[in-house]
Amino acid sequence: MSKVTVIIDGREIKAPAGRKLLWVALENGIYIPNLCAVEEYARPPASCRLCFVQVEGREKPVTSCTLPAADGLAVQTRSPRVDRLVRTAFELLLSDHRLQCASCPANRACELQKIARERKLKLRYGRFPYLQREPAPDDSPQTFAFDPSRCVLCGRCIWADQEVAKIGAIGFSRRGINRSVTTFKDVALAESPCNECGLCVKACPVGALYFKKTAESK
Amino acid sequence: MELLEGEKEQILATVDAILNNQPLQKDRLIPVLQRVQAELGYLPGLAMEKIAAAAGVSAVEVYGLATFYNQFRLNPPGKHQLKVCMGTACYMVGGQIALESFERRLGIKEGETTPDRKFSLERVACVGCCTMAPVVVVDENVEGHVTPTRVDGILLSFEGEEGKTRGEAKSPAAVESEAKP
Amino acid sequence: MSTATVAEQYRALRQEAAAAVEALKQKPVVWVGTATCGVAAGALKIKEAFEQEIKERGLDVAVLETGCMGHCYAEPMAIIAKPGHVPLCYGRLDEGLVHRLVVDFLDGDDPGYEYALVALEPNDLFPTFSDFPRGVYEEKMILEQCGFIDPGNMDHYLARDGYAAVAKILEMKPEEVLAEVKAANLRGRGGAGFPAGEKWEACRKAPGEQKYVICNGDEGDPGAFMDRGLLESDPHRVIEGMIICAYAVGASRGYLYIRAEYPKAVERVEGAIARAREKGLLGQSILGSGFSFDLEVFQGSGAFVCGESSALVRSMEGKMGIPEVRPPRLAESGFRGCPTVLNNVKTFAYVPAIIMKGADWFRSTGTAGSPGTAVFSLVGKVNNTGLVEVPMGTTLRQLIFDVGEGIPGDKKFKAAQIGGPSGGCLPEAMLDVPIDFDSLQEAGAIMGSGGLVVLNEDDCMVAVARYFLEFTQHESCGKCTFCRLGTRHMLDILTDISRGKGSLESLELLQELCEDVRDGSLCNLGKTAPNPVLTTLRYFRDEYEAHILEGRCPSLMCKDLIVYYIEPKKCSKLCNVCVGSCPTEAIYTRDDGLKAINQEKCVKCDNCLKTCPVEYNAVIKLSPPSLLAEKEGKSK
Ligand SMILES: Cc1cc2nc3c(=O)[nH]c(=O)nc-3n(C[C@H](O)[C@H](O)[C@H](O)COP(=O)(O)O)c2cc1C
Ligand code: SF4
Ligand code: SF4
Ligand code: FES
Repeated sequence: MSKVTVIIDGREIKAPAGRKLLWVALENGIYIPNLCAVEEYARPPASCRLCFVQVEGREKPVTSCTLPAADGLAVQTRSPRVDRLVRTAFELLLSDHRLQCASCPANRACELQKIARERKLKLRYGRFPYLQREPAPDDSPQTFAFDPSRCVLCGRCIWADQEVAKIGAIGFSRRGINRSVTTFKDVALAESPCNECGLCVKACPVGALYFKKTAESK
Repeated sequence: MELLEGEKEQILATVDAILNNQPLQKDRLIPVLQRVQAELGYLPGLAMEKIAAAAGVSAVEVYGLATFYNQFRLNPPGKHQLKVCMGTACYMVGGQIALESFERRLGIKEGETTPDRKFSLERVACVGCCTMAPVVVVDENVEGHVTPTRVDGILLSFEGEEGKTRGEAKSPAAVESEAKP
Repeated sequence: MSTATVAEQYRALRQEAAAAVEALKQKPVVWVGTATCGVAAGALKIKEAFEQEIKERGLDVAVLETGCMGHCYAEPMAIIAKPGHVPLCYGRLDEGLVHRLVVDFLDGDDPGYEYALVALEPNDLFPTFSDFPRGVYEEKMILEQCGFIDPGNMDHYLARDGYAAVAKILEMKPEEVLAEVKAANLRGRGGAGFPAGEKWEACRKAPGEQKYVICNGDEGDPGAFMDRGLLESDPHRVIEGMIICAYAVGASRGYLYIRAEYPKAVERVEGAIARAREKGLLGQSILGSGFSFDLEVFQGSGAFVCGESSALVRSMEGKMGIPEVRPPRLAESGFRGCPTVLNNVKTFAYVPAIIMKGADWFRSTGTAGSPGTAVFSLVGKVNNTGLVEVPMGTTLRQLIFDVGEGIPGDKKFKAAQIGGPSGGCLPEAMLDVPIDFDSLQEAGAIMGSGGLVVLNEDDCMVAVARYFLEFTQHESCGKCTFCRLGTRHMLDILTDISRGKGSLESLELLQELCEDVRDGSLCNLGKTAPNPVLTTLRYFRDEYEAHILEGRCPSLMCKDLIVYYIEPKKCSKLCNVCVGSCPTEAIYTRDDGLKAINQEKCVKCDNCLKTCPVEYNAVIKLSPPSLLAEKEGKSK
C-alpha cells in the first residue's frame, strides 16, 4: 500500500494510504479516546462517538475511526467543538454505567478511566443523572462473569465471540435504549454455546466482562 | 415458557413446511420469520433455532432480529389484538387517552396480554387513517373516533363470546391461553 | 419470439386496454374508493350496499374499486359514471344515500346533485375540482390518477398511456434517459432532496455486473400516508418509474420495500407486478427489447430506522436495520455490496411523466431550486384533511388556509408541524415561507417525506416536542451513544418540564444536548431528532417558560398541570350524564344537587368534558392546578 503523509496536531506522520486515522494516531503515541474500534472491521461501527477530531477545512468534527489517511490530511485531536462532543458522549455513557470504581474488577485497567484522565473529565455523574437501569449480572460461567450494568455497548466482545472465536454465544439484541449484549433468549452464559475461551473478556474495555478472582487468568 | 404437548411437533412441522428442506439464504431470514409468525402467531424459541440452523447463523443472531423489529413477538398473542394508533394526528386528539382507558379497563400495560390471553394491547405508529383520529385497530377492523366510552363499547362487544367459541377448532395459541390462568 | 418492434408491441397492448376501457364506458359504473382510508371509513360496506341494491333491481351496472382521491375527510366516497351524464363524485356515503342514488340515478335519471361533491369532467351543470378553492393551487403530477382508476386493473393504467414512457426509453440510449432526468433536476422526495439524476449517474458509473433499484416505501413518519396512497391507488406508475431507472443505470433486479403495516399496499403492488409481468412489461426482454428487469416486494418488519438507506439495505440482507457510516454510498456499495439506487415512492412516480413530457415541462412547475410539485398528507386541526399536491413554492398559508380551508371551529392556528419526527414546528409568523427543500431547511424544519400536521391553540408545544422525541427515542436503533442515550435524557428533561418540574437551567441543558445530538449522531435519525425540540424552543419558548415558572400549561393539555372542574354556575340539577361517563366514579352529586369532581379519584380521561351537554358546558380544565383552591373557595 502506498504511503501518505498526514499531519496530526502539527506532527507530520507517514501512514499507509486509506488507513484509518485513529490507528495512525494511536500507533504514534497520540491518544484519541475510543471504545468501539476494532481495526479488522471491514466497516467500522463508529458507535461510541468518542474519537472525534477536527479536520482542517471542515467545520464539524469527524470520527477518526472512519477517516482514511490521505496525503496532506491535517487534523487536530482537540478543538473546542471536539472537546464539547467528547465530553457529552462521555457523560452520556457514564449516565448508563454503574460507577463503583473502587470495587470494580477493571479498576485501573478501564478505558473510561483512561479517557477521563487524558481529557480531564470527571468520573462522576454530572449533567445527566444516572439512569439506574441495573440489569442483573450473570456469573454462571466458571471462569468469568458479565455485569451488563457496566457495559458500554462497544461490541468488542461480540466481535471476539463471533469473528475471532467463531462461537456465536453472544450478540446484540433489542433496539434503542434497550439494546444489549445477550445470549439466545437471554439464557445464562453457562447454558449458551459459550466454551469459556475468555476472548470476549479480554476484549472488554471496561469492567462488564471480567475474570473471576479464583480463576487463573490475564 | 413451557411448551404444551403437541405444540412442539406443530412448531417443527410448521417450520419444516416453510423451509421445505432447502438451505436458507441469509437474506430470506426476515421473510421466513414473517411467515412463521403469520402461521404460529409468534416466534417460539424452537422455531428460531431451526431457522438459524437452516441459514447457518447462530441462534443469537436470529434472536437479535426477533427482538429488533417491532413486528415480531416472542410470546403468543391474545385472542383479540387491540392496536392503539399513536401517530401524530391520533396522539394530538386523544390517542393517549384511549390507550390509558384500555390499560385501565384491562388491567395491563401496552405490549402486554391479559392473563386469560383474551386481549393483547399494543401501540402502533400511524395506521394511515389520520382523518378518523383517534383510531384503534381491533383485530383487523379500524375503529375511528375512539373516546373512553367507545373503549368500553369495544370491550363489551367481546363479552360473553367465550361460550360461542368453545366448540370451534382451537389454534395452539388458544389452547395455550386456556391452559394458562 | 415475435419480431414486432417495441413500439408495435406497446401499441397493441395499449389498444387492447383502451378497447376494454371503452367497453366499460358503455354502461354505468360505480367506483368505490377502497384505499385504506376509505375502507376504514366503511367503504367495503358501501360497495356491498351498491352491489346489493343493484342486484335487487336487476340493473346492468359495474361496481369497481378505485384508490384514494385525496379527499379523505369525505370518505367513504364513490364516483358514478353513467353514459349521458358527467361523472359525479359523492362523499360521506351511507346505506341510505346509496339506496337513493341507485333508485334515483342508476335506475332513474336524477343524479341527485344535492348529494354530489364534485363533477369529474368540465360541464356547465356542476363544479369540478378546479372550481374549488383548493383547485386553484393544486396541480397533480403524480396523484393525477389516484382515485380515478382501478389499481387492480392494469388496462386502466395502460389506456391512459401508461407504460408509454417505458416503450419510449427502450428506444433511447440509457445515457439519454439519464440526461433527461438530470436536466429535470428531480430531487428525491424521501426527505433530503438529493438530486435523483446524480444518484443514478453514480450508480451507472460504479463498476459491477449486478446492480439494484430499490423503492423506499417504508414511510415511517407517524403522520404521513402519501406513499401508501400512491402505492394503493396507482401502483403501475411507481413500477414504470422503477423500470426506467433500471434501464438508465443498468440494473436487472429491483425491490419495493413496503412496511408490513401496509397490507393493502403490499397486496396491490404484488398484483400489479404480476400483471405487468404477464403483459411483458417486467421480466425477460421487456416489450421484446432485450432489456430484462424484474421486481419483488420486500416487507419491512416495523422499524422506523429502516427508512434510512443503509439500514434498509441491511434489513433486506437479513440483518438488524442498523445504519452504517458513509461513504461508501449505496450507489457504490449497496444491497449485497452491489451498486444500488434507492429512491422514494414519489421520486419514481415523477419519472414516467418527465420522460413523456420532458424536463422543461417538469421544471416549468415549482421553483428554480425545487422544481415540480410537493405532496403532503394534510392532517390535524384543519378542515380538509387528506392528500394534496401543490407546486413547490406554494406557501404554508395557502396550503393550510386555502387548500385545507382553515382550522375547524373558532380555534386559532398555532403551528404547522412539517417533516415529522425529523422536522419542526413553524409558527404563524413563518406561514409565508414557500414550501421547497431549501426554504424549509432555513426555517429549521425540513420538507421531510410530506407529513403536515396542523396544530391549534389546544395543542401544547411542549407536549408536541415530547411526543416526537418519545417516538425517535423509541425508534432509535440504539447503536450510537448520542442518539441512544442523548434522546433518552432529552425526553426525561421534557417529561419533567411537562410535569412542571423543570428549571431554566434544564432548558439550557436541553438546548445544548440537542445541539450535541445533532452534531454527534451517526445517522440522520439522530441528527434530526432534536429538530422538533429546537424549533419549539426557538418559536415557542414562552410555553416552556409557563410550564417551568408558573406550573401552567397554556394549552391545557399536560395532564400533570391541569385539573378538571365543574362550574357550579353552569351545572344543571336536571342533568346527570357526566356521572355515568366517569370510569372511576369520581363525580358525585353535591348536597345542592349539582355535580362535583373528587380530585383524588379523577384520572383526567376527559370523558366528562366531552359528555357534558353543550347547553351547559360546565366541565372546564384549570391550569395551574392551584387555581382550583381559588375557584372552590369562591363557589362555597
Ligand atoms: C430515520 C430515517 C427514516 C427515513 N424514512 C424514509 C422513508 O420512510 N421513506 C423514504 O423514502 N425515505 C426515508 N428516509 C430517507 C432515506 O434515507 C433516503 O434518503 C431516501 O429514501 C432516498 O430517496 P430519495 O432520494 O428519492 O428521497 C429516511 C431517512 C432516515 C434517516
Ligand atoms: S461487555 Fe464489554 S466488550 Fe462487550 S459490549 Fe459491553 S463493554 Fe463492550
Ligand atoms: S443516530 Fe440513532 S438511529 Fe442512527 S445509528 Fe445512531 S443510534 Fe442508530
Ligand atoms: S472509536 Fe470511533 S466511534 Fe467509537
